Amino acid sequence: MIVVTSLVVENATVVRPLGPAPASRGVPRWLRKAPTYIFLTIVAVASVYPLYFMVVGATNTSPDVLGSRLLPGGNLFANFRALVAAQDLGGALWHSSLNAVLTTIAALAVCSIAGYGFEVFHSKGKDRVMSLLLLAMMIPFAATMIPLFRMFAQFGLLNSTFAVILPAISTPFLILLFRQSARSFPHEVLEAARIDGLSEFWIFVRIFVPTMRSTYAAAAVITFMNAWNNFLWPRVILVANRYQTMPMLISNFRAGYVIDYGVLMLAVLIASLPTMIVFLVLQRSFANGITGAIK
Amino acid sequence: MKKSTTALAVLAAASLSLGLAACGSNNDTGTSTTGAATTGAPSGDITGKTLTVWTWDPTFNIYAMQEAEKVYQKTHPDFKLTIVETPWDDLQTKLTTLAQSNTTDQLPDIFLVQNNAYQKNVINYPELFADYGNAGIDFSQFPQSVVDYSVIDGKNYGLPFDNGAVIAGYRTDVLQQAGYKLDDFTDLTWSDWLTKAKDVLAKTGKPLLSGQANSSDTIMMMLQSAGASLFDADGKPTIVDNAALEKAIATYQELVKAGVFTEVNSWDEYVQTFVNGNVAGTINGCWILGSIQSATAQSGKWDITDMPKLEGVDGATNYSANGGSSWAISANANYALAADFLKSTFAGSTEFYDTILPSSGALANWAPAAKSAVYAQPQAFFSNDAIYTKIVSYAGKVPSNNTGAYYYEARDAVSTAITKIMGGTDMATALKEAQDTVEFAMQ
Repeated sequence: MIVVTSLVVENATVVRPLGPAPASRGVPRWLRKAPTYIFLTIVAVASVYPLYFMVVGATNTSPDVLGSRLLPGGNLFANFRALVAAQDLGGALWHSSLNAVLTTIAALAVCSIAGYGFEVFHSKGKDRVMSLLLLAMMIPFAATMIPLFRMFAQFGLLNSTFAVILPAISTPFLILLFRQSARSFPHEVLEAARIDGLSEFWIFVRIFVPTMRSTYAAAAVITFMNAWNNFLWPRVILVANRYQTMPMLISNFRAGYVIDYGVLMLAVLIASLPTMIVFLVLQRSFANGITGAIK
Repeated sequence: MKKSTTALAVLAAASLSLGLAACGSNNDTGTSTTGAATTGAPSGDITGKTLTVWTWDPTFNIYAMQEAEKVYQKTHPDFKLTIVETPWDDLQTKLTTLAQSNTTDQLPDIFLVQNNAYQKNVINYPELFADYGNAGIDFSQFPQSVVDYSVIDGKNYGLPFDNGAVIAGYRTDVLQQAGYKLDDFTDLTWSDWLTKAKDVLAKTGKPLLSGQANSSDTIMMMLQSAGASLFDADGKPTIVDNAALEKAIATYQELVKAGVFTEVNSWDEYVQTFVNGNVAGTINGCWILGSIQSATAQSGKWDITDMPKLEGVDGATNYSANGGSSWAISANANYALAADFLKSTFAGSTEFYDTILPSSGALANWAPAAKSAVYAQPQAFFSNDAIYTKIVSYAGKVPSNNTGAYYYEARDAVSTAITKIMGGTDMATALKEAQDTVEFAMQ
């Protein structure tokens, strides 16, 4: 999905040297700011236009969408009926949600423990393992897909939710994110907790997890979005199409000779909503989590 | 410290099992018959009642399969099809993955393959396919040019279904406005066509054609209309010193330069040009009719004819093909049942083709079907012309095209060359680069 980010331009304090006043002093404030606003307006329009087109397109007929009609139309319900008649929308939403939620919960649990472990129980050996993990980030998924598929086939795991989720649970990026956050976690607190007799397990659960709430939120948004939009692996591993996810459903709409763009736009809109909601709900924590959980 | 690490490991394992406890594991215990390319068992002893099919497009291929199931059920009441909707690009990914991971037991019984991709798949992954040697299907009842897409080493691997015969569709009202009739655009050469198209443009302001700027589709249609290809009989690329290709590119350049061919950036924009009436015609595989008809307001204003032919090229005709697809029987199939099902429907039932044509526009490649009265019915959208009879007659006259295992690579290389040529690069240089690219890919 497309995430619209707002740009904030802070007023910079400029210290001018003594001497004759610069030529710009006579220029009104609004005129000096005009280029900034024009630039921001263009960027904002460029960011919002595709979203607007998607929403409006969902209410129009296919020829209207092709004709780039920018006003809302009256075809929303007809598009919805066509969408539901052609595909199992409810099933796709349910399976996508199930995959995304379970992946997020499992990935957060595993990667936060790993990140915490790498930082708090620091050693040279663990650093080397971490470097290996970072190297793994460089390998594109397409390169590991065939061996992974073969492995799952040998374990008899094809066509299962488990097979969709498992490869996404542990990602080097999330481990790195949690490790970096754990780095700013005050070790004095850990020492104090240990002296007070709290076990390592409870230190993690009762002290680290609540403190790192915003890191968890950022990680949740990223993992949920990736899991929701995951296409290639589910398409391949669910060989028999026992169930399909929202990206697979959208792909089906583009496969025919005649594409109904109104219905396609509606399907894309529906597929975008959950990630939008997750992002909006966790937006503030997301920003904090990316910049560092502890100030 | 040891204690704490153990505790964390236990927590990790516990959270994993908790989080995934809800996931059902629907293991597919497919029957395994993994092996190399097979010649299927004789179709005499039919066992089993169900077949699985991978295909795409609910309004076209999937619909056709569902109707075929109904036709076959009349003689085999217990028969059942399981259709797995899989778009072609995804189907190709699945085929590649199954072949490379040696898990062919996951293959369905039947799957649809695009004609242009047939050679590549059968040559690279013979273990996925069973040939039609024992299916008892008379392939002489299909156009030779279409059958040839899926013939490898003299064996048939595909049953032609989706017709890709090229049509030239025009807005007759626009032609009339410029003082022309459809006949004036029938059986002519590209240079005659260009003269008239310029006249139409001058009088009505509408170009007659459009297409994607980064696609070689139009050039490839011109090329096949002269029976030419990008490969010789031994499979070596012939992109340089290819008179037909050079003529096709030169013709294309003239069309664009004259303004009678509007270049756009994407497929969606291409469809938009004629749906919105900005362009008064199109030349493409006959499957484009569906997109043309989506502009309901233009009903009665369209008609179709054959495409122009290249001048001064040996074997040039007014007929070509673009796209199309054929049914493959997999190496993992219940061969006898799959072969009998296809033979009784797609290669043996006029009733079946009569049903699918009016509702989906799915046009038969199977010659006996075209004799049916349904094909001769006038179509209101297309000026009450019997367009389906026309298309089937075109399909029979299309020259064969040698695609080879690297056809897609060659098409992509030629597309890049065309973009460069249109940007001002010398034709010989651009085509040499394309040839080098394909030769590199083949190493």
